[in-house]
Amino acid sequence: MKKTVDFKNFTLGLWKDNPIFYLMLGLCPLLAVSAALKDALGMGVAFIFVLVGSNITVSIIRKIVPEHIRIPVFIVVIATFVTIMDYSLAAFSPQLHKNLGVYLPLMVVNCILLGRAEAFASKNNVINSTLDGLGMGLGFTIAILIIASIREFLGQGTLFGINILGENYLPLLIMIMPPGAFLVIGFLMAIKNSVGGRKKC
Amino acid sequence: MKKKDIIVGIIVLLSITVLSGFLLAQVFNIAEPKISEQKKIDEETLNREIFQDGVTFEQKKIKDIKFTVVHNKDGDLLGRIFDLKATGYGGQILIKAGVDKDLKITGIRILEHTETPGLGSKITDAGFLEQFKDKEDGTIYLKKDNPQGEIDSITGATVSSSAVTEEIRKLQENLKTLNGETQ
Repeated sequence: MKKTVDFKNFTLGLWKDNPIFYLMLGLCPLLAVSAALKDALGMGVAFIFVLVGSNITVSIIRKIVPEHIRIPVFIVVIATFVTIMDYSLAAFSPQLHKNLGVYLPLMVVNCILLGRAEAFASKNNVINSTLDGLGMGLGFTIAILIIASIREFLGQGTLFGINILGENYLPLLIMIMPPGAFLVIGFLMAIKNSVGGRKKC
Repeated sequence: MKKKDIIVGIIVLLSITVLSGFLLAQVFNIAEPKISEQKKIDEETLNREIFQDGVTFEQKKIKDIKFTVVHNKDGDLLGRIFDLKATGYGGQILIKAGVDKDLKITGIRILEHTETPGLGSKITDAGFLEQFKDKEDGTIYLKKDNPQGEIDSITGATVSSSAVTEEIRKLQENLKTLNGETQ
């Protein structure tokens, strides 16, 4: 029998099943918002909220939702949480809302959200789904923070907007442009695969 | 698929949609006043940043051009702030451009934009916006587009930079013809 509460659901998302480095989901916002650490942190926090919220809701309604309409139902649930997040940030943290710009509403189509709703929350109880949401959300946040710190450090010589490398540093501009994100993700994925075992097909 | 399945599906989807609609309406009701209040504060702060001695800010509109006339505490005309709209890389950019009474551009601020975070979003940086101050006619071009241009574009964000630059150049060109009408 399946355990009712399994803490492993939380830790899996952090490293082994990390949404970015293992599942390779949600790369789109990752590429877009990882040029600066501050924005990446905001994106991560907003993302955790939306993922936990949608996971809990999907898990609660999983028994009354017929199989054949589950995808539109999941999308409605996710869109609702993203919109709540959008309004709340605009009202209570306008500066962050401005920085995240168009990527906040675009979270609706983020495949981690739909992926976890489909693969996990629709098959597991509320507590496990919450743990999974937290783990995956934190995993995403950690990944985006690592990538953003490398990109910001090399691309602008700063961390959280504070100059580290001094005025004479000639920024490696490719890092803050989209190709830089691909490069960093590629290298990090290679490192994770060599340390944590190769992804099996 | 059985008829019953279809009906159950319709009912479930409909009720979930109605429920989220209701929830969103509640959230919107709470957030809306704060959002519009914030917008007003933003606009006022920007107006004050552009004209620090401004006391009265009076909004006017002539031929679809929105602008604010600014007077100081003695009632003397300080200048005007024009509301400009540029189309950037990610959508509309709302710009506020301060023009003093001699029709020189004194300060630019970005009110709203949806440019790429970390790249195009740098159009709000002082370093970029200060460049437009007191520029002569014909120099508000990006350096790389026009040999007479004196504006450095933002690295990796040419579209955003040139959208702002062009809109401000248009304003500078229009100012002469507008002169008599905006008093």
